[in-house]
Amino acid sequence: MLFRRIYQFLIVYSIGLISLLLIKAGLSLSDYVIPGFGLILETLGQVFDTYFLDVMNTMSVTVLGQCVSIAMAFGVGIAGRRSSWMGSFIKVTAYNIQAYPIVALAPIIFILLGDGFISRLLIASMICYFPLLLSVLGIMATPVEDIEHFYIITGRMRWQLEVKIRAFENLSKLTTVISGSATLAMAGTIVAEFIAANAGIGYSIRVALYQSDLAKILIALFLIGIIISIYQGCLETLGEQIKNRWSVSKGGNPR
Amino acid sequence: MKKQRIHILVLFLFTALFSVASADEIELNYRLKWLFNTSVAGDIYADAKGYFKEAGLKVHVKEGSPEKNAINELELGHADFGVASADQVIRALDKGAKIMVLAQLFQVNPMQWISRADQPQIKTLDDLKGRNIGITFGGNDETVMNTLFAKAGITSKDVKITGVRFDFTPFFKREVDVWPVYFNSQGVILKDKLEKEGEKVYFFNPADFGVNFVANSVVTSEKVWKNRPEVVKKFMGALLKGWEAAMDPANEADVLMEVKKQDKESNDELRRLQLIATRELIKPSAAVKIGTMDVEAWKQTEAIMLNEKQIKKPVRVETVLKH
Repeated sequence: MLFRRIYQFLIVYSIGLISLLLIKAGLSLSDYVIPGFGLILETLGQVFDTYFLDVMNTMSVTVLGQCVSIAMAFGVGIAGRRSSWMGSFIKVTAYNIQAYPIVALAPIIFILLGDGFISRLLIASMICYFPLLLSVLGIMATPVEDIEHFYIITGRMRWQLEVKIRAFENLSKLTTVISGSATLAMAGTIVAEFIAANAGIGYSIRVALYQSDLAKILIALFLIGIIISIYQGCLETLGEQIKNRWSVSKGGNPR
Repeated sequence: MKKQRIHILVLFLFTALFSVASADEIELNYRLKWLFNTSVAGDIYADAKGYFKEAGLKVHVKEGSPEKNAINELELGHADFGVASADQVIRALDKGAKIMVLAQLFQVNPMQWISRADQPQIKTLDDLKGRNIGITFGGNDETVMNTLFAKAGITSKDVKITGVRFDFTPFFKREVDVWPVYFNSQGVILKDKLEKEGEKVYFFNPADFGVNFVANSVVTSEKVWKNRPEVVKKFMGALLKGWEAAMDPANEADVLMEVKKQDKESNDELRRLQLIATRELIKPSAAVKIGTMDVEAWKQTEAIMLNEKQIKKPVRVETVLKH
């Protein structure tokens, strides 16, 4: 899973890079508009160490932001799973909050909380949280009738058990959503850094943009892509392992 | 019925004639460096007062932004003329771009630093020592400030550097003492805000300390320069006429009205103050002709960038200054 993620990314990145180089050659553009392969390699040598640390910095916020958004999505999803007035109210509130574009809210967050770690974390969580919430709400609001029926008629159903049944019965979906949300958390962190932070790869991209240095931006994109692919691959592998253990504990065959 | 037909025919002929006149106009794209505001009063005025039209041009004056780079657009053929800062021009030359500089709009670089008057004024470069100085990492101000530090022998131990953005809160909260501003836009706004709070400000201009880093200029591609000299002549004639008129104090009210149509963000008084400040930078004295190239300043800008390792090799920028 992990290696597939990595080589898939390398294929996509290579296609993108080759397309750019073809455009450069076709339109006879200078290195200022689209850098040549030699310049990209040269820039890689110059900025690799710094950018790698920047990506890891961004990644640390991403992972934490994703954890926060998973917790938020499960909290709201579990609270809003019922078709009661309160459940509906929580859902509507969650949807309305998301209606504000984060890039518009980000400057306010930075003014109030400064350009440090907390602002980046909050923005990353906010961008990552909503797609997760939609999936969690969908899963949590759909009964697994053949299992739940038994617990209901025997009077042993509790909300914790209901959540557990629905989560584990939809583990495959949840793993996919959580793994996919890693990209959103990364994008959220980069957006935050791009807008106002003074650290991370988003900030470095902004500096490179000031200098119209596309070579640096391409290297930043490469490092972001490779690191996020590794992270997603790890999440998917972890999800597979959990599924297999769950399957074994239920008496099924591990896949 | 017959009379109606004649009317339709006349209308048709008039429309056709008008269309022919329009078709004769040469259509051009002109990409600015920044948003519409008083800093680009001359560009707005040339368009609004029909100077381009008089020259037989139909110019689409387009706003700029950090993401919209005029030099890229020239190469890609999306723009025919544009505004770029000297560092953009020099960087582009270093990377093989074929561009020509047609006019230097700012004779004095608007990139300056603001500080409160309740703190000592920066009268010598040594006065920078011990101060918390704001710098936009990757921006022109970083290059300029590093040059000033090198000139004065100031090391990173002597000053505190804080990375800044467009949000002035750290300056208002006194977390940063000396803040980078564009003198004629943000500088005017900050000065106005602080004066309303009873605070006076100083501006620190690197040019006063011998660092002349050129700001915005009008550029075009080598291809346009070589192949369409008549268009270049007409465009530059109309544009500089617009700038001369816009910087004439006699036209102030009219210019402000035209700028207001494009820039609705600022209030009238701020726009007026910004226009006065812009005038000082574009036409510092009556003797200075708008668009004049300060060749020595260009050479110094290149030398600074070379020294700061922002370019790999000398580009001989003076060879592309064509005014």
